[in-house]
Amino acid sequence: MLAVETKNLTKMFHKLKAVDGLNLEIKEAEIYSLLGPNGSGKTTTVRMLTGLLRPTIGGARVLGLDISDNLQEIRSRVGHLTETPALYERLTVRQNLDFFAKLYKVPETEIKPRIEEIVDLFELPEKLDEPAGTLSKGMKQKVAIARAMFHEPELIFLDEPTASLSPESAKVIREQIIKLVKKEKRTFFICTHNLSEAERLSSRVGIINHGRLVAQGSPGELREMRKDETVTVFRFSTWESNTKEFFADMKIEIVEQNQEQKYVSVIIKDIEKQTPSIINSLTKNNFQLVEVKHEFPTLERIYLEFVELEGVPREENNMEES
Amino acid sequence: MDLGRVKAIVKKDLREMFKSKYILSAVIGMPILFAIFIPLSTLYPLVAIDSNEFEGGDEFPDYFKDLFSQVIPNWDSTGAQGQILVIMSYIMYIVVLLIPIILPAVTASETIIGEKERKTMEALLASPLSEAELVTGKILSSFIPSVAGTAFAAIIYSLITNIMIYPFTNSLLFLDALSLVFLFVIAPLLSILSVELMILISTRVTSVRDAYQLGSLVVLPLMMLIIGIVVSYFFISVIALIGAVAILLTLCAIFFKIATNVFDRERAIVKLV
Ligand SMILES: Nc1ncnc2c1ncn2[C@@H]1O[C@H](COP(=O)(O)OP(=O)(O)OP(=O)(O)O)[C@@H](O)[C@H]1O
Ligand SMILES: [Mg+2]
Repeated sequence: MLAVETKNLTKMFHKLKAVDGLNLEIKEAEIYSLLGPNGSGKTTTVRMLTGLLRPTIGGARVLGLDISDNLQEIRSRVGHLTETPALYERLTVRQNLDFFAKLYKVPETEIKPRIEEIVDLFELPEKLDEPAGTLSKGMKQKVAIARAMFHEPELIFLDEPTASLSPESAKVIREQIIKLVKKEKRTFFICTHNLSEAERLSSRVGIINHGRLVAQGSPGELREMRKDETVTVFRFSTWESNTKEFFADMKIEIVEQNQEQKYVSVIIKDIEKQTPSIINSLTKNNFQLVEVKHEFPTLERIYLEFVELEGVPREENNMEES
Repeated sequence: MDLGRVKAIVKKDLREMFKSKYILSAVIGMPILFAIFIPLSTLYPLVAIDSNEFEGGDEFPDYFKDLFSQVIPNWDSTGAQGQILVIMSYIMYIVVLLIPIILPAVTASETIIGEKERKTMEALLASPLSEAELVTGKILSSFIPSVAGTAFAAIIYSLITNIMIYPFTNSLLFLDALSLVFLFVIAPLLSILSVELMILISTRVTSVRDAYQLGSLVVLPLMMLIIGIVVSYFFISVIALIGAVAILLTLCAIFFKIATNVFDRERAIVKLV
């Protein structure tokens, strides 16, 4: 069974297509990250999957249940960290968790021990009986994440879980997520802007832009798709004025040259074959080579390219060529 | 309907209300103000006039006589001053009945528009809570302080007016059958209606402050309604009162349905969050 399966999932707000024909298949025990710029439709997608919004066209199954008629059951079996997950500030952390535990029908006898266990995991035990309003922003976010997972759902939607967290808090959350997936076969569906986190955490990522899925795969697969965009940097101890001509003669495209820092970045079509011969001829021509390194495209670069943001060097070059 | 979930909402809302100084002072202050200040300021000046100097006007019309001889055994032998005091204290009892209209409007603003303003609504809607459970929880959490406040006010009011009027009538006025019906039947229904109307208003406003302003839209028609009920009872009959209760019940049921539609996820997300 797939944890989430959407078929042509579409949501219109008046004339705006917020989500446009989305087809997703998310397996159990997977960590799936949906990446996309502001307003690309991530939150709208998740809201449809937990029944907060109805799709205009298309549909989906969540945990094998159709979202058009099993919403009550879906909602009780999934966790949803909403985009602005406010707590009841006048109530204590314990009272906040207790309230949601009861909405999700966690057995009475399990509530107290579980509260204590979960605040320990999220490193907040000393705040348990403080009013939630007195917590820092990141602490509140951690409580909200704890709240979304409290009833031990099989599938957990997290809408920008670590946006307001410090690196060490984000790490705690990541570790918990990975543990839950490995040990208990939970599935996570995460909306995020944090590319390096998505890269480290996810089994697969989907890139969404203007409501459409523009790319999908494991972080490795996505990098593979753009492997021809690996940039190779040559750094010298002294700068030669004919550096540019040298690479031009070898028909190698220069992405960037920096005379002050004494390096050039180039794109080599066949890294394995060409790199040794370039190094050879550089030394032959008395270039004082200090360092050669291949910069494989990061998820960030791939992401930016897919969402067609401006200012990506590779794009400018493409335009010149055509 | 899962009562455990409804109970959780009520408990949570009451906890929050008790931590808000504003709500707490409204829940405690309003009954005290209405039950003590208003009778003292309207009835006491009449009581204070020396009976010898009291100028009785014309005789009261016959239906007044018929009506009040039912509540006061010795209506005819009660002087004009006493008769006016009896009628006034019945009319002022309406003020006590404003509490179940105004108080729920205040608390419901806090518990419903407050959820919207403080962004806690979406997590609530993402939970398996049904619309009917949510509306019932929200009605009850405003209903409890409202009915408690009204009962408290009615007792204080009865005490004060009885003490003031006893010397004139030699019998106790409150709590009589009519005021008990108002206290235990009409007031609770008004509380429910008031919360339901605030739920409808919640779709139009984004802050608790705006809700208080628009709340007068709820309070005014309900005030007209209660005055209508009291007047119709006075001038027509017990049947009119029963009719009024039936109308209130129907309105409560209709608005319950409309209020559950407000919490329909799609609409609520677009309008409430
Ligand atoms: N309730 C609504 N009414 C009208 N338009 C909406 C509504 N909710 C979202 N939209 C629009 O739908 C589009 C997608 O919004 P959505 O919130 O899903 O984006 P997102 O990917 O979550 O963005 P972000 O990264 O900023 O959170 C946006 O253009 C937004 O303006
Ligand atoms: Mg979003």
